[in-house]
Amino acid sequence: MIHSLFLVNASGDIFLEKHWKSVVSRSVCDYFFEALERATEPENVPPVIPTPHHYLINVLRHRIYFVAVIQSEVPPLFVIEFLHRVVDTFQDYFGVCTEAAIKDNVVVVYELLEEMLDNGFPLATESNILKELIKPPTILRTVVNTITGSTNVGEQLPTGQLSVVPWRRTGVKYTNNEAYFDVIEEIDAIIDKSGSTITAEIQGVIDACVKLTGMPDLTLSFMNPRLLDDVSFHPCVRFKRWEAERILSFIPPDGNFRLLSYHVSSQNLVAIPVYVKHNISFREGSSQGRFELTLGPKQTMGKAVESVLVSSQLPRGVLNANLNPSQGTYTFDPVTKLLSWDVGKINPQKLPSLKGSMSLQAGASKPDENPTINIQFKIQQLAISGLKVNRLDMYGEKYKPFKGIKYMTKAGKFQVRT
Amino acid sequence: MPYLGSEEVVKELRRALSNPNVQADRLRYKNYITKVIRYMTQGLDVSALFMDMVKASATVDIVQKKLVYLYMCTYASDKPDLALLAVNTLRKDCADPNPMVRGLALRNMCNFRMPGMTEYIEQPIVAGLRDKASYVRRVAVLGCAKMHSLQPNTEIGRDINELEWCGLLVDLCDVFISCLDSHSDGTHSLQMKDLDSWAQSEVLTFLLRYRPRSDDELFDILSLLDAFLLSSHAHVAVATLRLFLHLASAHPTVQADALLRTSAPLLATCGAASRELRFAGLCHVQQVMRSQPGLFGTHYKRFFCGYSEPSYIKFRKMEILVELVNDENVALVLEELRSYCTDVSPELAQAAIAAIGRIARTYSEKCLDILTGLLGLKQDHITSAVIQTFRDLVWFCPQSTAAVCQTVGACVDSPQDSEGKQALLWLLGEHGDQISSAPYVMEGYIDGLKTELSSAVKMELLTAAVKMFLCRPAETQDMLGRLLHYCIEEESDVCVRDRALLYYRLLQRGVEETRKVVTGPKSDPSMSVLTGRQEEPISDTDVTLSSPDDAEEEISLSLGPPLSHETFEKMWLDLETLHRQTLGFPRPRAAPDTLQAALQLVKIQTLAFTPGDTVPWKAYIYTRSTETLILAELLQGDQQAPGSDESLVVSVKQQPVNQHAIRGFVSVLKSVLQTLNVDTL
Repeated sequence: MIHSLFLVNASGDIFLEKHWKSVVSRSVCDYFFEALERATEPENVPPVIPTPHHYLINVLRHRIYFVAVIQSEVPPLFVIEFLHRVVDTFQDYFGVCTEAAIKDNVVVVYELLEEMLDNGFPLATESNILKELIKPPTILRTVVNTITGSTNVGEQLPTGQLSVVPWRRTGVKYTNNEAYFDVIEEIDAIIDKSGSTITAEIQGVIDACVKLTGMPDLTLSFMNPRLLDDVSFHPCVRFKRWEAERILSFIPPDGNFRLLSYHVSSQNLVAIPVYVKHNISFREGSSQGRFELTLGPKQTMGKAVESVLVSSQLPRGVLNANLNPSQGTYTFDPVTKLLSWDVGKINPQKLPSLKGSMSLQAGASKPDENPTINIQFKIQQLAISGLKVNRLDMYGEKYKPFKGIKYMTKAGKFQVRT
Repeated sequence: MPYLGSEEVVKELRRALSNPNVQADRLRYKNYITKVIRYMTQGLDVSALFMDMVKASATVDIVQKKLVYLYMCTYASDKPDLALLAVNTLRKDCADPNPMVRGLALRNMCNFRMPGMTEYIEQPIVAGLRDKASYVRRVAVLGCAKMHSLQPNTEIGRDINELEWCGLLVDLCDVFISCLDSHSDGTHSLQMKDLDSWAQSEVLTFLLRYRPRSDDELFDILSLLDAFLLSSHAHVAVATLRLFLHLASAHPTVQADALLRTSAPLLATCGAASRELRFAGLCHVQQVMRSQPGLFGTHYKRFFCGYSEPSYIKFRKMEILVELVNDENVALVLEELRSYCTDVSPELAQAAIAAIGRIARTYSEKCLDILTGLLGLKQDHITSAVIQTFRDLVWFCPQSTAAVCQTVGACVDSPQDSEGKQALLWLLGEHGDQISSAPYVMEGYIDGLKTELSSAVKMELLTAAVKMFLCRPAETQDMLGRLLHYCIEEESDVCVRDRALLYYRLLQRGVEETRKVVTGPKSDPSMSVLTGRQEEPISDTDVTLSSPDDAEEEISLSLGPPLSHETFEKMWLDLETLHRQTLGFPRPRAAPDTLQAALQLVKIQTLAFTPGDTVPWKAYIYTRSTETLILAELLQGDQQAPGSDESLVVSVKQQPVNQHAIRGFVSVLKSVLQTLNVDTL
């Protein structure tokens, strides 16, 4: 099982270590550092590194490597998911998960790690339960603690562990009973030169924030449940009911949780909400290159495409770019050759464009590779797959809850090849 | 740097901790303790403060307690005698009214991990197991496990012995009692759904040790666990799959079904947001593909690389794409791989070129076009990788020799790195007769020998020059002489010198002698079994395949010159079927190139076969025997016709007719396919 955890920052220093079994010398990280040195980019460090006596499994989040030391046969997926859970918990507690935040809250970090894992086995990882064991630090509480000398450890034992429904504690009370559901879809696509789709798929999640008194039993039904390909549920969802009736029936956990995640793959036609017209060319023998880019919406059902950000890694031979955006601002970093254009909102009447010239290294030959364009965007009030929630009902409690559903489509890994 | 000047820091901290004024001020005292912990986590040795820290454990502040215990657990094994001093405080805490404190004390006492500790922790653990707070009970169960690992033969009272195996189910604490019951009853009413995902994964791993007593029980377990194959947590889905594969080892259909059902969660993992998860998912897909190559065929687009993905993911995806190629998607996959060849990272570009080379073993023409096109880019690393790919291709796939030689002959610029140089020299030496410019290219290398640093290149050059001399003596003799002279007289590397002397002596024995020794077969496709797919348990296959002696005695098959698709088709349509036989076993489930290589090993050349699991499955093969050409078709019957789907049918045509040869051929074929069947099951 997970033997030890080392936290390594971007410059390759171990700034925190925790051992759940006997102490493993930090020299074991030398193998990790070797891999770090070999990798050209920080992201390129392989997640699983074998060493003579241990396996090192690491995840990189927020520019911190979380390196777990494994001594026995463990499914790597298990460790990777657990490490991500640790990071999520830190983020939940401290707002950000940076080296500074971890160092400032080193005591809470140790308390959390101690509760999350014992003897190498995960224990309490649900944020509901953890927050009852260890109160998250807030500014007010920090001040109060400093003055009164009290601590942020719960005096009471978490009741959730004794409840019949393990993910929900008993005796929840709210004055405003509300249940919000966010349908968030991320579209991953690769578009080729001519504008046709090479691959496109949608990763969707339904995140819920449920603040309801007592033990409510909810059912959620969709207008078009057959749309969903690979669905995976929070353990609270009754799987049999979904298989039989395509209805989500569940007793929700208290607070924020991910109800389900789904996948709409290339079998169904995936609508691509933006199109790109581009003309990036370099002439042989000339030290100038042409750059033209126009963005436009399509298949958005009349919803606005917002927060558009275009970035592209230009070829190494490009010295500088002299461009003229019709809206928004652009930056070009001559060192990393990264061009990014903050477009903002796309106005269908006046399509945003970025035109101009690039200057190339004098005498260098025409670059071979063409840059790939990455696009970020957001569309509010639209689930691009067409998924729609039909209704939400509550049983088991008498009061009338306030219900809300929000849809959003975002670009995931959305790339256009030129 | 904290490693330096540690003594100063420790001294200062000790002074502060033992200062009565500081001890009186709780906040300041705690701050110093926090400081100690901070130094400890930065790798500074603060074990000298052990005594002061033990004193600090006597406090009501639970956070301070936690910190001190953390400190003690780290250094207890270094200072066992001092740690014993803390035991009393800990034992007192184990009786504290606050369950958090009880649990904390018990957990840390078990974490001390030093010999002689057992006698102190035994009693608190037993008490903890009966505690009314579940939190403490859980800690106590984990304590049993820790104690067990500390001293495997301790007997912690009667209660513990019963629970000892339960230490394996440690994280089940929430429901461990119910689990215990269900197991001892032999019923499997495991309340898996009530566990969190980590515990589910643990239980599934634990169940690997369980042997069902009957098939009924086995299927009961499997149907209970069926839903977990589609768990939202990839690790649970994979753990379930592992259990299915393990338990149903006697039921291949169940295994195949489980693999099919898990393919959806696995694919979802391959598209997960976290790149580490994606990587692990891809590795799993690769594993699954070894036994079920057709499973992901339709999803090949999911394995196209995104621009911003880390290189370890791209490498995996390319490996998978190579495996997924079939007639329908080959064009798209190749186009995709072609676009990776110009990647900024040279390693990636080279991997992509190598991937195209692997595909070229089946679809040589298309790939050769792409590879030739890449040479036109005139980028050093690309040229070198292409030449290396050509070398391997010619070795594994002799049909492409002519095309490769033409390309290499026309290629103007030569690779600059030693790997590429070696590959080019090998090609020149091996196929010098087909590359008209070969001697002139080689002369360039011989002239530049003084500046060559790599001895591997020099060795390759020697071999290539000798081979070239054997096929084109007139053009090579002079330069070979110069080369040998230089290598023997002036070369400092002893390996190169020895090699040169060896060739020199060999040449002294006469040209024919040398030819016998130096030139061997131009290609050895059987090697692809060893080099192409190292991961597969091929070692057994190899042993059994190379000795089908009984069959080989009757008839000798040979490969002879390769047959083009068109010639084969024409002959197949013209000739009558002479022999048709039901072999009585299904087609081997081996990967296409394993099958091809295995057949090639017994000198049967594969011309074409249906990719993946498509039904009906067909393969066209041919071989030569004494003065006769044998053509054959392997057919796995239609699925619609009941009963006939289980066996292969072989139809043989021949020109000229020789019944003896047909019998021999069928028996060789049968033995190979059977061996493959045994190995892939």
